Amino acid sequence: MILRARTTSVDATRELAAVVAKQAAPGDVILLAGELGAGKTAFVQGFGAALGVDEAITSPTFTLAHQYEGALTLHHLDVYRLERLAEMDDIGVSELLDGGGVVLIEWGDAVAPALPNDYLEVSMRYGDGDDDRHLELRCVGRRWSARHRTLGEQLQPWAEA
Amino acid sequence: MLILGISTSTKQVGAAIGGHEGVLASSHSARGKRHAENLAPAIDFVRRQARIELDEISVIAVDIGPGLFTGLRVGIAAAKAMAHALRVPMIGISSLDLLAWPLRHTSREIVAVVDARRGEVFYARYRPTPGGVQRLGDPLVASPDDLRADLEATDSDYLIVGDGGLRYADELAGIVRVEIAEQYLAHPNAGSLVQLAHAKAIREDFVQPWQLEPLYLRPPDAEINWSTREGLTPGEAR
Repeated sequence: MILRARTTSVDATRELAAVVAKQAAPGDVILLAGELGAGKTAFVQGFGAALGVDEAITSPTFTLAHQYEGALTLHHLDVYRLERLAEMDDIGVSELLDGGGVVLIEWGDAVAPALPNDYLEVSMRYGDGDDDRHLELRCVGRRWSARHRTLGEQLQPWAEA
Repeated sequence: MLILGISTSTKQVGAAIGGHEGVLASSHSARGKRHAENLAPAIDFVRRQARIELDEISVIAVDIGPGLFTGLRVGIAAAKAMAHALRVPMIGISSLDLLAWPLRHTSREIVAVVDARRGEVFYARYRPTPGGVQRLGDPLVASPDDLRADLEATDSDYLIVGDGGLRYADELAGIVRVEIAEQYLAHPNAGSLVQLAHAKAIREDFVQPWQLEPLYLRPPDAEINWSTREGLTPGEAR
């Protein structure tokens, strides 16, 4: 189940993320894939803003995990610096997932084998223009598959054929 | 010989000091998951209650899990740091062994079950023996349903102990001849840790700080396949 979308600015990526945030539930996992500059952190910023997080959201590349309080607790992880899947355990991912918050993981596609098979994967690619991005949202597992249709309707403004 | 024991594998933070005379002082707190905040004060508290100085400690014992990763990281890091600083050896003991040991006077089979989160438990089965318990096989990670199936496959009387047993009490309740030990026993006890470590210390069954590893029991470790990100080049066809 894949939804395709296209944004033409960083702000549009944030707005799209806000729409996804409105569908989020406690215990959700969202994997963010895409090269440097593709908009992974911008996605988390838009997502956090929609949850009412009023702190500035910055990339946790060096701290590995940030936590923000909003309508749901937002765990923002960046696994770019990890070398082994077992390090996901060291971050305490199991406990974050069990704690009732939402977990967003930058470069998360790389560590999917260490996660429950139940997540939304958002892949971002550069488009033709400097600020154009193609997004693919893939529902894996029960939790997100149940929301696939609703999510598709909500993402209509950015839909890509 | 004085042993400092540290246990942080569940939401409880435990510290104890003891030796030949038994446990001299212990501290346990289970409010929130505040391992990092609570451990150092707990160690200082038991040190003062036991009326000793840190340099009198000759062994650091630590609960190596399985259990909460964040808790284990705090406890094991603190234990290793103290062992390095005091230049003393270490003894690592599994959280499951610590849960089973206080129940050694039962005649039933003991099943130690730690909540692994994500709908899974860590568990091991034990047989009471004179003066202790004997583990039957390696510790496992499983769903509560798989644990139940494992227990139902053998015709034994079971005493289940641990926070995993309490969390999944409903799933395990249907098994004939099973009882779940009370909340008070559901977390590894730092006093038990000191006592078990003392028996090992007499045999000089030590490890050095750089040898001690947590018991994670998660699926086999692998290097992250970072080639995935190299496949994502600009302008690549959908």
